[in-house]
Formats: sequence, C-alpha cells, structure tokens
Amino acid sequence: MNNMVRRAGVGVALLLFLGALLVSWLTHGTGVIKNDIARNIHIPDELTMPFQVMAAYNGRNMFFRYRWPARQPSIYHDMMKFEGGKWVRYGASVPGPQAQGIYEDRVAMMVDDGGVPEFARYGGYITIGDRMRFFTNEAKAENVKAHPYLGQKRNQVEVRKHLPATRKDIGDWSSVVPEDELAALRKAGYFLDLWHWRAHRSNPINASDDEYVFDVRSGDAGKGPFTDNWDAEKKQPKFMLDPQKTNRRALNWDDLIQRKLGFDDVYYISEDTAVPFDATHSWKDGDTIPRRLLRRGDGSHADIKVFGRGLWKDGFWDVTLTRAMDTGNPMDDKILVDKRVYNLAFSVHRHALGSRWHNISLPITLGLSREADLVATRFDGDEPTWNQPWHTVTLFYPGQVSWPMLNSAKHAGAENIKKGVPVKYRHSESQLAHYGVEAEFADEIRRQWLFTLFAGVLLVGGFGIALNQLLKRNQGV
Amino acid sequence: MAAYHAVLVHFPIALWMTATLAILLRAFSDGALAKAVDRALVPLLTIALISGVVAFAIGLMVWPWETISSTPLGRNHVLLASWTVAYWALLLATRWLRGEAVWKGASRWIMAGLALLGSFLLGVTGTLGGHLVGIYTEVSNALRLLGWEVFTTFYVPNVTLAVIGVITLLLIGLGLWSRRADATA
Repeated sequence: MNNMVRRAGVGVALLLFLGALLVSWLTHGTGVIKNDIARNIHIPDELTMPFQVMAAYNGRNMFFRYRWPARQPSIYHDMMKFEGGKWVRYGASVPGPQAQGIYEDRVAMMVDDGGVPEFARYGGYITIGDRMRFFTNEAKAENVKAHPYLGQKRNQVEVRKHLPATRKDIGDWSSVVPEDELAALRKAGYFLDLWHWRAHRSNPINASDDEYVFDVRSGDAGKGPFTDNWDAEKKQPKFMLDPQKTNRRALNWDDLIQRKLGFDDVYYISEDTAVPFDATHSWKDGDTIPRRLLRRGDGSHADIKVFGRGLWKDGFWDVTLTRAMDTGNPMDDKILVDKRVYNLAFSVHRHALGSRWHNISLPITLGLSREADLVATRFDGDEPTWNQPWHTVTLFYPGQVSWPMLNSAKHAGAENIKKGVPVKYRHSESQLAHYGVEAEFADEIRRQWLFTLFAGVLLVGGFGIALNQLLKRNQGV
Repeated sequence: MAAYHAVLVHFPIALWMTATLAILLRAFSDGALAKAVDRALVPLLTIALISGVVAFAIGLMVWPWETISSTPLGRNHVLLASWTVAYWALLLATRWLRGEAVWKGASRWIMAGLALLGSFLLGVTGTLGGHLVGIYTEVSNALRLLGWEVFTTFYVPNVTLAVIGVITLLLIGLGLWSRRADATA
C-alpha cells in the first residue's frame, strides 16, 4: 500500500471516529424521555421556577405572603358542561395538563415544629410513599377502597401523602400501624400542618384549605371551603347559579375556554350565589356549572384565610394567607410561638397541571424573630407593612421519587439518609429535578446507558484496529 | 471500597497525564530527550492501564451494581471510566504495535490529538467521581455549556447506536482491508 493511500485511510478512520463522537454528543439524552399519559408520565417544559415568600406576625396572627410567576391565572376548576342532553365533567385531576386548561393554580405550605424530624432534612420527600397516586405504579383504587383502615375507615380511594412512621414498612402503602399507635403518634405531634390555597376552590371567598399530612393527607376537623356540587344519583348538579344574584343560571363554556372570565366576574358558585338545581329548566349545550360549591368552612378546617385578595397581575400571583398563631387546635395545626424556629416546604401548581405535577421546594427554616432562612418580622397593628425583603427559593419538578426508593439500594445516598445528612448538603434543586425526570424512565435509561457504554468501547476498539493496520510499522522496532 | 478507590485512581490519573505530556513532547520534538522519554512510553502506558483497570474494578465495588447503575452520576462515571480505560488501551496498543513509526509525518499529530482527547476523557471521569462524593468543580459547568448536563445520564438513542455500529464495522473493515493490502504488496 503506498503512503498516499495509507494517509487517506488514516484520515478516513479519524473522520469516522470523530464523526461518531460528534453524533453521540449531539444526540445524547434523546429518544427515551417522552410523555406517556398511559403510564402517568408528563414532563413539564420548565423543571424549576422561582418562588418568593415573606412572613410577619403580630403576636396574635401569622401572615405569609407568596409570589410566583405564572403565564396566566388558572382560576377555573372542575366544571359540568351540558352537552347532548347530559352533564359532562371537565377539569378533574388528570395526568399532565388538563386538556381544556380547566385546572386551578395552587400554593401549599407544609409546616413542622420539630415533631417530624426527617422533615427538616428531606422536606416533602418523606411524605411520598409506596405506589402513590398518579405514579406509574400507583395502587389500584379497588385495593385502596378494600383496605380495612385506609379504605373503610378513612374513605381513601388512592394512596396519598403520608408520613413514614404511619406504616410498618415504608415500602408497603397498606402496612398501616395499629390505630392506637397512630393516635399516640398524632398526640405526640407527629404530623405536618398543610396550608393549601386554591385559586378556584377557596380563593374567590377569601379562604384557604387547612389540612394535615399524617396517615393520609386530609382536611382538618370541620367543614372545608368547598364541597361537591354533584348529585350522583340524578346525574345532575345539586345547585345552579342564582339568576337573581348573578343574572344567569350557568356559565358559558366558550367564555371559559377563551378565558374571558376574570377575578371580578362570576366564574364560581358559592353558598351565596347558589340555588337548588332546576332540572326543568331548558338547558342548552354549552351551559356550564362549577362542580365545586364554595362555602364558609368551620372548625379547625377553616382556620386559614386570604388576607386582602389573592390576585394574578403582570405574570405573577400575589397571595397572602393569615391564621391565628394559636388556633386552639394543636392536633391539627402547628401552633406558632414567638422566638421559635419551624420548618417549611412549599409547592405550586400552575399551567393547568394538578396532582403530582407541581413544583416543590426543599425544606427551609422559619424563625419568628429568630435567625433562620426565612425570618418572620414582628409588627404592631393588624396589617403587616411588608418592609422586609422577599426570601426566594427555587421550586422544582420532583418526578416520581418516593421515600421508599430514596431509602433503597437504588439510591446511592440511602446511607447518607440513615446518617441524617440533609438533602441540601448533596443535591441542588436543579439536580433533583433532573433526577426526578430520570426516575420516571429508570429502566429504559439504564438499558440505553449500557448500550451506549458498550457501543463506545466497541467504537474505540474498531478505531484501534483501523489505526493500527493503517499506520506503517517501524521496521526497527 | 470507596477509600481504596479514591487512593487507587491517583495512579492512572498521574500516569496517563504524564503519558500525555510525554506524547506531546515527542510529537513536537525529535530531540534526544523526547526520544528518551518516548522509549519509556510503552512501560508507562502499560502500568497506567493496569492501575486504571484495578481502580476501575475496585470502583465497581464501592456501591452495589443496582445502586451505581440507578444513579445518573454513577452511570456517567462508569461510562466515562470504561471509555477512558478502553481509549488509553488503544493508545498503548498503537504505540506498542506500530513502534516509532507513530512519530513519522502526520501520525505524530494524530498521537498528540488522541492524547489530548484521552486527557479530556480522564478529566471528565475524575470530575464525575468527585461529584459522586460531593466534591463539585466548574468542569461540570463547562460541560453544561457544551451541551451536557452531567446530572443527566449520558446515553444515545437507538439511531445513534446504529450509526456507531456501522462506523465501528467500517473501521474494522478499513483495518482488515489495509492488512490485506499490506500482505499482498
């Protein structure tokens, strides 16, 4: 072989080798991650988002002010549309975004006073148990309904947030500890307080849901800010809009789809604007009645109110919630005390995404005039002046990462969890978002990674064969 | 095994970095020093490869396979380590089998380029290993700017696997064709 051909051969080998590397670089990370609604998989466009919070108190009441970006306010939720002679539901929880955009924005905050020690280190991750709602491997509704405690006594139809010690085995959602042990845990303060504001199901009446996370996620004792407006037997709403007060009996579907109804319009139904449903009325296609009736709650369930108005303006929600520092309900709420430090974690639903498709924060500390990540400022009077700077946290999409998985051999940090190393020490929000997405395709990515590994080794081998045969041997060696 | 792995990886890193300098020196110089250094290259690359394989094997024992193969950073570290070892084995084989001919003409620049590419692979492998134990560097930001988020697993789609397979076959074919051409010349 003459030198010219040999040089050309080396050039071709180099081009092929470098070309393969270039193609690999340009195409890596593609071909596996894609939305698959049948498997409850939808990957949001944005994996992280900023979130701002301020806190203040006056010795009697606590105030939290939240601010976060959203492309548009989603204030409609769960509607019954009259079509073809029957009422059809739109806006229930679905995997991924609700097709018609009818799903409300939400902000939630979990609060702990040290009663749940793992919460300070791992935040909401500890509440994500085995086979959770809307995970790819979610437990079947019939199995949850048949569970003697969760289904029969707690009326659960899906596995919702719960704390690890409420199960004998964190890897088994059904292994609830005996009820006397549950009672003892709760009495000892082993629960998370959950402030839960919803843009449709509470905001129009300046209310917020007041919930807790313990053996399940549930509302505090008493009546919450909404109830179902659906008569399952008659297959029709229980209430319609009062034409005397609202000048209509129903909303117009097209107004909802075109997002014509704003904060000052009638887009919800409440005790004050409802009358019993009139089945004899001549309903026409497109008439729409909200499936949730807003009401004045009571008891511990109604401790949290919206201060002022929760509004979206210029691309941002601005919501302030307030609650008595001591609600008198220590079994449902974390009582807030001056000069004490608490742990918080936030979540936001936006862009018509519900259920597990929220963005969450890592835990932060809240100090009531104490050094902490978020310092609540004490003020005199009834209304905070909000002179303090915002505290900004990064929220992230958590994917399908559960507490059992994090404590298993599938997580290299499981040993660190046993040692009590906080998640913040080893992971950033952005990193966790990427891990969360990969967890949804764990098997597929592992297979593709192995193929890639071996393909790369074979490529190097092939290049080695070509190079060694093409380079001229030095006769002296 | 983590502590042993951390100690052992220093050897291949140091030896392969030294080999890179030796290759660059020889690529740029025909002087006595460069030739003397080149004579030590094969033993140097051999020891480096042995220490690299040992460090790799010990590294695989740090976590159970289920753990390391479930972790994006772990996967990336294993993938880059595999490629690094394979790649430096290729450089050793080339210098060993082709002898001093690799320094003739344009071949020397190919060797220099390959050594730099090998150092890049080595650097990324080490960086990811650091990330695994919580020691972060700006290298990951540089890779991010180049298009790879190191907290995501490096894998390629099936179509790229097919392209790599075809290119690998072409490279082997090219080598066999060259061998036959030399034999019949």
